[in-house]
Amino acid sequence: MAVLRPFDKLPTLNSGTLLLVGPDEALRQQLAETILQEKRDFNISIHLATSLPLPSERDHLRPRIDLIVFMIDIKSKYSLKKVECSLAHVDASFFLGKVCFLVTGVGKVNACSIEMNAVCKLGEAYCSPMLFCELELEDTRVATAQRLVRMLRICAGHIPGVSALSFVSLMRKSDDN
Amino acid sequence: MAEYLSETTNKADPVAAKEELLEECERIWKQMEECQSKLMLLGAETVAPSDAKLYLLMLQWKALTVDFNQWQTRNPELISTNPDVLLELGKEELQKVKNDLETMLSTVQSKNKHLEEDLKREQQWYEEQKQMLETLNKIEEEVNTQDEHPSTKRELNELETKVLKLKTFRKELLTALGGFLDEYFPLPERSENIKKKNSSAEPVVELITLQEILEMLINTLMATPHEPYITINESFWPPYIELLLRCGMALRHPEDPNRMRLQAFHK
Repeated sequence: MAVLRPFDKLPTLNSGTLLLVGPDEALRQQLAETILQEKRDFNISIHLATSLPLPSERDHLRPRIDLIVFMIDIKSKYSLKKVECSLAHVDASFFLGKVCFLVTGVGKVNACSIEMNAVCKLGEAYCSPMLFCELELEDTRVATAQRLVRMLRICAGHIPGVSALSFVSLMRKSDDN
Repeated sequence: MAEYLSETTNKADPVAAKEELLEECERIWKQMEECQSKLMLLGAETVAPSDAKLYLLMLQWKALTVDFNQWQTRNPELISTNPDVLLELGKEELQKVKNDLETMLSTVQSKNKHLEEDLKREQQWYEEQKQMLETLNKIEEEVNTQDEHPSTKRELNELETKVLKLKTFRKELLTALGGFLDEYFPLPERSENIKKKNSSAEPVVELITLQEILEMLINTLMATPHEPYITINESFWPPYIELLLRCGMALRHPEDPNRMRLQAFHK
């Protein structure tokens, strides 16, 4: 399956699936572990990928993806390029609230090699929320994991009355036109 | 919705209610399968990066409009009319609300405590500032009332007269002392010296008066209090030195017998 679609499978009972896409394996692993340590009342399964498209051999084993998180490391231009390439393999209806961009490494201002402008433009172009965090610090890592778990609950439809789309409309930045 | 209902089936419901709920679940699940197969037929669309924003915004707008219409036409529906189910659900809801309110209560209480502590601290600081202000005001008043005397010049004049008086008194004392010493402690006769000279070839030494010795002692003590010793030389008549030492008016240097100083009566 070349393009990832949000509703190609039926949902699993009382669970949510998160897909982390990003070229840096260590960061992905770190974030995934922190997310799984969060207290929750539903099952979370996390799938890790360097880039899209996902290999089609394991397609039938994969559950329905509820939320895609694209991880961009601000210290490497390569991660931004990879993410941009992966975006072409995502169905348009995913961008109705089921995609989120996570920018990591923002703690070290000297090591930025991507312009913040470029990253923010990407978020705006794809109408998806942009989260910033520093995964090296435990506090921000745990806080980001909590945010992602909450978003996952909404995207998996566990909160009655709040859909992913309505949530993402609420998350608009105040200086957005 | 399906997950929510399935949680309540764990409670001790009568069998009929359970069956009812399960049927409801099955119905909704079938609906979902239908919707999903319809969606599958639509096919996938990817987003071109060039006009992604416009395309996605249009898509979002369409979806939100549909959502909105749905909400408008929808009426709130009961999950089930079975009173046991409703009771259990109600209990759960109330439990959740209770937990939320308890967390909120504890947060608000701790915030209140912090605010009270802050208030106390600020009040203390305010009191201290007030006191400081009062003291400063008092000082200012005192300084102002002092300034009202046309004082400086008068004070200076007073001080000058005092100094003059003291100087004259000092002169009188010294002259009186000199007169007293000359009368009762004169220098030995010259003639004795000349006689001594003829008998034993001792050099003639000009003896200085007791007054002069005392003057030297006083001046040294007053001018250089850290070094009040003077060296005894041959111009001092030895009996007078002994007299001064025995009366306790002068003291020898503890290590050097040729040096002496005036006793510090003023200390």
